[in-house]
Amino acid sequence: MNAITPNTPSLPAPVGLLAELTHRCPLRCPYCSNPLELDRRSGELDTATWQRVLTEAAGLGVLHVHLSGGEPTARSDIVEITQTCAKLGLYSNLITSGVGGALAKLDALYDAGLDHVQLSVQGVDAANAEKIGGLKNAQPQKFAFAERVTQLGLPLTLNSVIHRGNIHEVEGFIDLAVKLGAKRLEVAHTQYYGWAYVNRAALMPDKAQVDQSIRIVEAARERLKGQLVIDLVVPDYYAKYPKACAGGWGRKLMNVTPAGKVLPCHAAETIKHLEFWYVSDHSLADIWANSPAFTAYRGTDWMKEPCRSCDRREKDWGGCRCQALALAGDAAATDPACSLSPLHSKVRELAKEEAAETPPDYVYRTIGSNVDRVAPPPLKEDAPL
Amino acid sequence: MTAPFPTPKTDESQRLLSPEELEAALRDIGARRYHNLHPFHRLLHDGKLNKDQVRAWALNRYYYQAMIPVKDAAVLARMEDASLRRVWRQRIVDHDGDAPGDGGIERWLKLAEGVGFRRDYVESTQGILSATRFSVDAYVHFVKERSLLEAIASSLTEMFSPTIISERVAGMLKNYDFITKDTLAYFDKRLTQAPRDAEFAIDYVKQHATTPELQRQAMAALTFKCNVLWTQLDALYFSYVAPGMTPPDAWTPGTGLVPEVAQAAGTGTIRSGDVPRLPRGVRLRHDEVRGQHVLLAPERTFDLDANAVAVLSLVDGQRSVRDIAVKLAETFTADPDVIEVDVLAMLNDLATKRVLER
Repeated sequence: MNAITPNTPSLPAPVGLLAELTHRCPLRCPYCSNPLELDRRSGELDTATWQRVLTEAAGLGVLHVHLSGGEPTARSDIVEITQTCAKLGLYSNLITSGVGGALAKLDALYDAGLDHVQLSVQGVDAANAEKIGGLKNAQPQKFAFAERVTQLGLPLTLNSVIHRGNIHEVEGFIDLAVKLGAKRLEVAHTQYYGWAYVNRAALMPDKAQVDQSIRIVEAARERLKGQLVIDLVVPDYYAKYPKACAGGWGRKLMNVTPAGKVLPCHAAETIKHLEFWYVSDHSLADIWANSPAFTAYRGTDWMKEPCRSCDRREKDWGGCRCQALALAGDAAATDPACSLSPLHSKVRELAKEEAAETPPDYVYRTIGSNVDRVAPPPLKEDAPL
Repeated sequence: MTAPFPTPKTDESQRLLSPEELEAALRDIGARRYHNLHPFHRLLHDGKLNKDQVRAWALNRYYYQAMIPVKDAAVLARMEDASLRRVWRQRIVDHDGDAPGDGGIERWLKLAEGVGFRRDYVESTQGILSATRFSVDAYVHFVKERSLLEAIASSLTEMFSPTIISERVAGMLKNYDFITKDTLAYFDKRLTQAPRDAEFAIDYVKQHATTPELQRQAMAALTFKCNVLWTQLDALYFSYVAPGMTPPDAWTPGTGLVPEVAQAAGTGTIRSGDVPRLPRGVRLRHDEVRGQHVLLAPERTFDLDANAVAVLSLVDGQRSVRDIAVKLAETFTADPDVIEVDVLAMLNDLATKRVLER
């Protein structure tokens, strides 16, 4: 194991690997975290390559593998891949929509040693949920899937991405999680990258709705203590400080795309000047330590003011680089979600304006589209600081 | 070979029995057919039923208890003699009480609550087996439709109940840790009420069954009543013991329980006697790269110190918290009581995070 220890002494080993096995998905959620340019099936890594990547990940210190997508069960080798995780002692987490062929493969995944299931739910009301996910009859499939997960004794987490189209259902998501026997619920306010950035005006809730949703979650946490754990991700645009994106750039997480490109976070490809390495050309350890994309914003040396002298710089690591690029036009700027960013008040205003307007129709995610041109432009400072 | 449940002879020419012979014949029916002989009751008394099977019994039996005053009111309505009514009405008082919170039905509800049910769920009777409802309703119809003699004779199962009650109370207290003396308060009262009621009824039957035909009817009525009780246990056995065929609308484990009990399926406060376990999806692992033990759980990793590793290594789904504390006390030559406090604090913290169950 020591042979592949990264060559920077202070470099922590990654704990998580987000394995985006495929970009194919029966759902078309308008806030999908996949990039706008989706990989096609023909470009996907084969089974043996994924198995090699997982073996390298285990050696590098990865503990959790998130089998994601797209819809990971769309891969015909999902059971084999899960088995490999179990053999290597890696904790396998299936991040699934629960629709399509997911249920049919669940028992085999259980037998293969799957550790945990995270099931997405788009809404509580079926019609609303199916409008958001862009797939008819998805809701009953999800419920049947959840029922089988708990029948098998697998731990179930429900993941609900919250936006103005379902923020009135937060209480309902909590009840649903209890009813479906979930142990965890993620009430995750939309983060505005990728497809969600394109659809921002259709998704942005107003401040009062956000505050109300937080109060509901806090009350439910107390009421359901010991029964349901609720993780709350508050929306960036209304926060005081940004999140340490992916636990800090190149500190905890590696993301491997369907085609084998390795990213520090799932949105990193939006930063066009970064050079990403592929698992076909480099070992995972080499990529973690030396890939230009990973070293670009690792640590604090790259920071500008106000991050550079900020005492929170090793807490939130400057926030999200992708958001800094999207909103400030500079990936090395302070994340404008931070109240110390000169653009912060603009971000708040923008959220307020968008939330007040009639929401436009969703731009559904789809393979082979070219929606870059409809993405909102970066903000401009009125005057230099 | 004699049939296990012979019906009384229908021979009209049988001779008239003396009152003592009639009582002996009635007691013989009980000796052969009373439901203390039913396999389900044997399992109950011997502590062989699990908690959910005891719950099924308590839930279904509630309907019988609740309908007893309805049955007795029907009997009462047919009595034209005030002195008879004065005696019989006591049965209704015993069951309904003189005020809310009093009486046999209330005490049965306490029993049902004692095994974890919500009172409103029990009172709704929505989860009972159809066979329970049919049997009990048949009993109510019987006392309305048959002669007063037959109605009174059908109550004579009370002659046999003190035996079953003492067996039941002793057996259940001994064998079930979730049954307390308070839970079984219903039976305390019945130990004195039943013989008093039975004494009156047997005297009435002996006095009024004055022809072979009336004596035959009295015996048939008691046999019918034994079958009302027996059938209810057949249905419980069929549905909740073997083959376990529960009808679609009947109660299934986990429903109708008070929230704390519903949670107790794995969650809630862990106490000294509880057996903790790591559920599927939570694993203790040595992380070679970082040279430490970690607890892997859904979407999170817990870094463990040496103490936590020592405790979690002993969490095997077999040992109780107490066993773990005693074992650690041996290893570290310490006071198990002191260690147990720390172990409980740690395990309950993990239980709150939903990564440890019991």
